[in-house]
Amino acid sequence: MMAINGNAGLNGRAGTEVARIDRESVAHEVGAAIVHELNGPLTALLLYLGDLYQSSDRFPVGDCDGLSLKEVAENALREAERVCALMRRLGDSFEAPLREQTAFAQGREMIRWWSRAGHADNEAANAQEVLAHQIWLTARESEVLRLIREGCSNKEGGVRLQISHRTFESHRARLMRKYGAKNVADLLRLAAQDHEGSDCHRSAAAVRGRTARPRRSGGSPRCES
Amino acid sequence: MDASGQHARIETPDQVRPVLRVLVVDDDESVGAAIQAILSRRNCRTELASGAYAGIQALASSRFDVVLVDLFMTGMSGIDAIAHIRQQFEISIIAMSGFRLRSSLDPIDYFGTAMQRGASMCIRKPFSPRQLIEAIDLSVAASPLVGVALQ
Repeated sequence: MMAINGNAGLNGRAGTEVARIDRESVAHEVGAAIVHELNGPLTALLLYLGDLYQSSDRFPVGDCDGLSLKEVAENALREAERVCALMRRLGDSFEAPLREQTAFAQGREMIRWWSRAGHADNEAANAQEVLAHQIWLTARESEVLRLIREGCSNKEGGVRLQISHRTFESHRARLMRKYGAKNVADLLRLAAQDHEGSDCHRSAAAVRGRTARPRRSGGSPRCES
Repeated sequence: MDASGQHARIETPDQVRPVLRVLVVDDDESVGAAIQAILSRRNCRTELASGAYAGIQALASSRFDVVLVDLFMTGMSGIDAIAHIRQQFEISIIAMSGFRLRSSLDPIDYFGTAMQRGASMCIRKPFSPRQLIEAIDLSVAASPLVGVALQ
């Protein structure tokens, strides 16, 4: 989805080929995002069932002919472990041909996309909690980003940096991938957010420096179970 | 509260060790709740934070012996959070994740990166109660700071 934008300049045939690879990689990432989403509920399930099983010695022994509750707990745990093993294999089968930095940005973007698709109410939480993403840019990428922000076209940018417009374009495409941006407006928005996030991050660190005293809080509202 | 009476009757060897204060940072609330339920019977006091920023705030306002951080959260990622926590706090950090992207061309090792940024150990989701307890015990035992933290 996001990477397709970088291909506008390609001719038809090569473009189609790249688009196909992009579709595959997106399908891959969606798959990986689904596997990621499954991790949570499965982790919770395994923990609860493991706990039930460990406590199952104290279950009352029923007088029915079928399985005892202890056996039921044991079977439930075994089935959950089977599902988890399958999930691990599924997770292992996903390969993403991405560079590390891009993978961080895109992985995050896909997860965000998936959670948005999954539960609409996450949107607000996402907006609230956009913090230090710390997407690392090379010196050249920062310059390119600055020029894009100033409204430079690929040609103008290339001239300003004394590189070919093709090279400028490829820097731009890499920036889009790093931020998981769909278009230039999106890129500028995400980059600005990222920048703000970094500031936030630093000020949080500064605040922390001043409040080093250990204070016992009453605990979070959900603390006592 | 009234639940503590219920927990007290469950005898486990873990109960000999002092109360551990555990912070779970995970944007999936069901994971946090399950970990809390498991740990409540193992002499741990668990608090939950639904994101990196909330977790860092919790660490700044009270003392914990160990923090479990999910690597992939919306907002600040767990990797960034771990780097930040390591810089600011002396605490055992356990990275949790099941999400894994691999490539033969350019292998990405999220757990390796987490360790590099300061995680004490990593635990792969999904995990069993036993693996969870072991991870916590190991990371706490390995930390020279715990003696201080537990008084």
